[in-house]
Amino acid sequence: MKNFAYARAQDADTAVQLITQNQNAKFLSGGTNLVDLMRENIEQPDHLIDVTGLPLAQVEELPGGGVSIGALVRNSHLAANQIIRERYPVLSQAILMGASAQIRNMATTGGNLMQRTRCYYFYDTDARCNKREPGTGCDALEGFNRIHAILGASDDCIATHPSDMCVALAALDATVHVTGTGVERTIPIVEFHRLPEDTPQIDTNLQPDELITSVELPALPFARNSMYRKVRDRASYAFALVSVAAALEVEDGTIKNVRLALGGVAHKPWRATEAEKVLTGAKADEEIFKRAAAEELKAARGYKHNSFKIELAERTIVSVLKTLASEGGAR
Amino acid sequence: MSSPKTERRFVGKSVPRKEGRDKVTGAARYVDDIRFPEMLYGATVRTTSPRGRIKEIIFGENVPWDEFTIVTAKDIPGENYVALILNDQPYLVEEFFNHTEEPVLLLAHEDKFLVEKARRSIRFEIEEFSPVFTIEDSVNKREIIWGEDNVFKSFLVDKGNVDEVWESADVIVEGEYLTGAQEQLYIENNGMIAIANHEDGVTVWGSMQCPYYVHKALIKLFNLPEEKVRVVQTETGGGFGGKEEYPSMIAGHAALLSWKSGRPVKIIYDRAEDMAATTKRHPSHTRHRTAVSRDGKLLGMEIDFTVDGGAYATLSAVVLSRGTIHAAGPYLCPNVRIRSRAVATNAPPHGAFRGFGAPQSIFGLERHMDKIAKTLGLSPEEFRRRNFIQEGQTTATQQVIHEKVDLSGLMDRAFELSGYNEKREKFAEQNKSSRLKKGIGFASFMHGAGFTGSGEKYLESVVGAEATEQGNVRILAASTEIGQGTNTIFGQIASEALGIDYNLIEVAKPDTSNVPNSGPTVASRTCMIVGKLVESAALGLKQTLVGSGFLKDSGYTSEDFSNACRAYIEKHGALKSFSKYQQPEGINWDDEHYRGDAYGAYAWAVYVAEVTVDPTVYEAHVDDFVAVQEVGRVINPVLATGQIEGGVAQGIGYTLYENVVWRDGRMANNQMTNYIIPTSADIPPIRVFFAENPYAYGPAGAKGIGELPMDGAAPAILSAIENATGVSINHIPLVPESLMEELETETI
Repeated sequence: MKNFAYARAQDADTAVQLITQNQNAKFLSGGTNLVDLMRENIEQPDHLIDVTGLPLAQVEELPGGGVSIGALVRNSHLAANQIIRERYPVLSQAILMGASAQIRNMATTGGNLMQRTRCYYFYDTDARCNKREPGTGCDALEGFNRIHAILGASDDCIATHPSDMCVALAALDATVHVTGTGVERTIPIVEFHRLPEDTPQIDTNLQPDELITSVELPALPFARNSMYRKVRDRASYAFALVSVAAALEVEDGTIKNVRLALGGVAHKPWRATEAEKVLTGAKADEEIFKRAAAEELKAARGYKHNSFKIELAERTIVSVLKTLASEGGAR
Repeated sequence: MSSPKTERRFVGKSVPRKEGRDKVTGAARYVDDIRFPEMLYGATVRTTSPRGRIKEIIFGENVPWDEFTIVTAKDIPGENYVALILNDQPYLVEEFFNHTEEPVLLLAHEDKFLVEKARRSIRFEIEEFSPVFTIEDSVNKREIIWGEDNVFKSFLVDKGNVDEVWESADVIVEGEYLTGAQEQLYIENNGMIAIANHEDGVTVWGSMQCPYYVHKALIKLFNLPEEKVRVVQTETGGGFGGKEEYPSMIAGHAALLSWKSGRPVKIIYDRAEDMAATTKRHPSHTRHRTAVSRDGKLLGMEIDFTVDGGAYATLSAVVLSRGTIHAAGPYLCPNVRIRSRAVATNAPPHGAFRGFGAPQSIFGLERHMDKIAKTLGLSPEEFRRRNFIQEGQTTATQQVIHEKVDLSGLMDRAFELSGYNEKREKFAEQNKSSRLKKGIGFASFMHGAGFTGSGEKYLESVVGAEATEQGNVRILAASTEIGQGTNTIFGQIASEALGIDYNLIEVAKPDTSNVPNSGPTVASRTCMIVGKLVESAALGLKQTLVGSGFLKDSGYTSEDFSNACRAYIEKHGALKSFSKYQQPEGINWDDEHYRGDAYGAYAWAVYVAEVTVDPTVYEAHVDDFVAVQEVGRVINPVLATGQIEGGVAQGIGYTLYENVVWRDGRMANNQMTNYIIPTSADIPPIRVFFAENPYAYGPAGAKGIGELPMDGAAPAILSAIENATGVSINHIPLVPESLMEELETETI
C-alpha cells in the first residue's frame, strides 16, 4: 500500500473543502471496498477524507410517503429497518444477499453506490485494464469473462457493477442527493452510474468534489409486492451472475404497475425499461413475462464464458415475475 | 507392541488441541507475523508465456535499481534445481522456460510497495516455442516438451490375463472419465523468511508440511553440509498437500536473496500469486473397459489412467502411483490390467493434494461401476455387493487382504442412516411432478495409508521422546501441525502408552536442528506410521526409567513419572529415546512389477450424497451427506470427524464449484472471487460415522484418515445427480453452465 495522508471532516462543507484542496483525494466511509483496493495498489490516493463523523446516519420518513436514507446509514441497519422491510422489501432483501454480515455492518449507503467493479482484470495489476489504467486495453474481452457484462458494454470495458443494493434502488426510482462546492443537486439513480463507453475509468456521474448526502425513495405503494432474486455461484460471498429486482402490481389479471431492474449484467444497475413497456397494461401470464424478458435481452451480447447469462437472465426475470404475480394476486 | 490395556484414558477421547488456545487467542505466530531487524521484502519475477527462451531482460525506468538486491540463476552457489525426485525443476530460469509462472529473477528491498512496482516494471524479450496444454496433445507428442516422449513416469499393473476374458464375457462396458485441476486454497498463503550467509549457513522459517524436504533442497542449492542448513516450521494455516513441495522453492528464493544482500529476507505470496504459481491437483483422464458376467461378476478390467503433471516432474510419479493402485478399487476381479502415465504440459507443475491421485482414479471407477450396473439392469448397490473384496482375497496388485473387511456392512449402515432405499423410491415418485429434481447416490472405496510399496522402508523415519527438566515428556518429530491435529494425537498416543497425563506431553516445534527426520507430513501417514513411532519412542523412555530404577514398571502416577524423569536427568543428564520405522513382517512389494502389498493398511468407506437439481438455473445442491468409514481405532473423535467433514466439503467443491480455468497454460481465475469454493452456507450437514476395527500395527489400533474423505464425494454426488435427472455425467467439475449443456443435450 502506498502511504497517504488522513483527515477527518465533521460536516459536509469541510469534507467538500478538503477534497477540493487536496490533489488525488478520496472520501473514506466504511472502507470495505476502497481500503481493499488500496491494499492491492489499485487505488493509490494521496489523501483520505474520513466522512464517517458526518451526521448522515438517519432513515427518515418524508411527507408524502417517501423515505430519506442518510449516506452513512450502514447496510445492515438499512436492511433491518422496519419501514424498508415493509414498504420496500426488495431493498432489504438485496442488501442481505450482498457481502457478509461483517462487511454489511461497516459498509454505508453512500459507499455502496460508489463500489467499484469486481472485474478480475481490474483487480489483477499484471493485467491490462482501461478502468484501472486508461488506454492500456482490456484483458477481459478475450479472457475469462464469466461474470462480465452482456448489456451496454463497450470495446474498452465489459465490467459489471457489483452492487445488489443499487439494483433494488434502480427498480425503486430512487434519487441520490449530493452536495458540492456551493451546489446541491439530485441525480436519478438510473443516471447516477454510467455505461463505460470509451471512458470506463469513470464509474458515475458524480463530480470529483461532490459528496453523497442521502438517497431518497419515492412513495411507491405497490413496492410492498417486490422481491430480489440473486443467482450466484454459491450461497454466500459471491457477486451476482444475474440478479433481478422487481415490484409488481396486478389488478384483475392485468399488470397495472411494474418496476424491473437487473444486476450483474452491465456496467450499471440495469433498469429494464423495454420489458416494463411490454408488461405494463398487459395480461399477467407466463407468456407475457417471457416475451418481456426476451425483449429486454434482445440487445444482449455474450462473450466466450458468459453467453449462458442471457438465457439465465431471461429465466430469472420470468421466475421472479411469476412469484410476484402469484403472491400479489393472493392479496 | 504395547501391552494390552484394560481401559483407555486418552485414546478415543476428544481432548483439546495442544495449540488450540494460541490459535483462538491470536497468540500463534504465523510466518507473516515474524519480523527481523533490517529485514527486506522479496518478490519473484516470473515468465509471462508458456514456453520459450529468454533473450533479454529489460529493467523498467523510474526504479532506483541500485537500492535493490537482484538475484539471477548466476548467483546460485550450488545446484540450480529443487531437489525432490527427478531434480528437473530449476530454482531460477537460466535461459529456457516451460510454463507461465517460472521464476526468473528475485528482487528484494526494504520498501514493500517499491518491490511490487519494480517487479511490474520488468519485461522479457522472448523467443516463443510451441507449447502443449492438454493430456491428449502431450500423449500424442504434438511437441516434445519433456524428455524423449513427454512421459514423466508410467506404470503397468497386471493381474491374471485380461486378454483372455473379452471373448467369453457376457457383457463388455467401456467408459471415459475426466477430472479437473483443483487448488488447495489453504487459509494461509505460502511464505518464508531466510537468514543466510557464509559463516552461519542458511536458516529458514516458514509455512510448510515437510521440513526435511526443504532441508534436502537447500543443501543442494547452497552446496552446504547438513548441519549448516536449518529449517523451522512456523505455525501453518493449512496445507492439503499444497505445502509439500513448493515451500522448498520459496525457501530457496528467500535464502538466495538473503545470501546476496546479507540481510533477513521475507517472501510472502499474495493469494493471486499463490494460486497461479504453486501446485494444484493433477487433472486426469481415465478409460475403462470391463468384462462382466450376466450375473454381475467382474471378469476383467482394463484401465488406462493418465494425469497431467505440468511442466516438471515434481511429485507426479508418486501421485500417479497412488492413483494407479486405487484405480481398480475395493473390488475383486481376477484379471486386471492398469496402464498409467504422468505426462508433461506447459502449465505450472501439478502436485500433491489430499488424496494424491486416488480421488481422480476412484472417480472414474465409481462412475464406471454405475454404468456397468445400469447396463446389466442391476441396482448400483447390488452390483457392488456382488464384487466387494473380502478378507483373504487379492487387490489389483495381488495384495492379500489380511484384515476383516466388511464393505457390505458399511453400505448397510450408510443406507440406513441416509434413508437411501426409501428415498430412491420417494424421489422417483416426486420427480414426476415436481419442478426441482431430487436424487440420492453413493460411492464405495478404499484408501491406503502411508507411503506406497517400499516407500516407508526407504524413508526410515525416526521419532524421539525426551524427558524435560520439568518432568514432562517432549515428542521430537518432524511431522507438522497444519491444522489436522498432529500435536494433539501425538500427545494422546504418548500419554496412553505411558499412562501419564495428557498435559505432561509436549510436542516440539519441527526444527531440523532439534527433531529427527520422521518423514514428510503427507499420505495419511502421520497417525498410523509416525504415531506408532511416537508410541514406541515414548515406551523406550519408560523402559530406561524402569531399567535404571527410577520408576516402577506399573502402578505409578503421573507425578511418579515426572519425578522419575527429574531424578534421572539429575543423575545421568539428558534422557532421550529414539524409535526407527521397521516394516511389519509379511509386507512385500515388488517395485519392478508393481505387485504385492501396496499399503500396510486401508481405510474402507461408503459415502451417500443427496442432491437437488434446479432445472431453471441449473444449480445442483448437496442437501445431505452421510460418510461411513472404517479407519481402525479413532484416536480423537472430534478431530477425526473434523477431518472427514473437511475432506467431504473439499470434495463437494471439487465436484460442483471449483473450476480452474486455463488460458495458455495459466490459471485465469486465480482470485477468490472467481475460483469458487463452497462456503459453510453451501455445505449440507455432513453426518460422520466410524466403524472401528483396530489395526495391529497402528498406534492403539489406528489407521490413516486424512485423505480418505477426499475420494468419495465426487462419484457419490454425480451418482445422485444421475438419480435425479436420469443423465449420467462423467466429468468434474460440474459447474451450472456445464450441467445446462448436459441436460439440454439429453432431454427432449
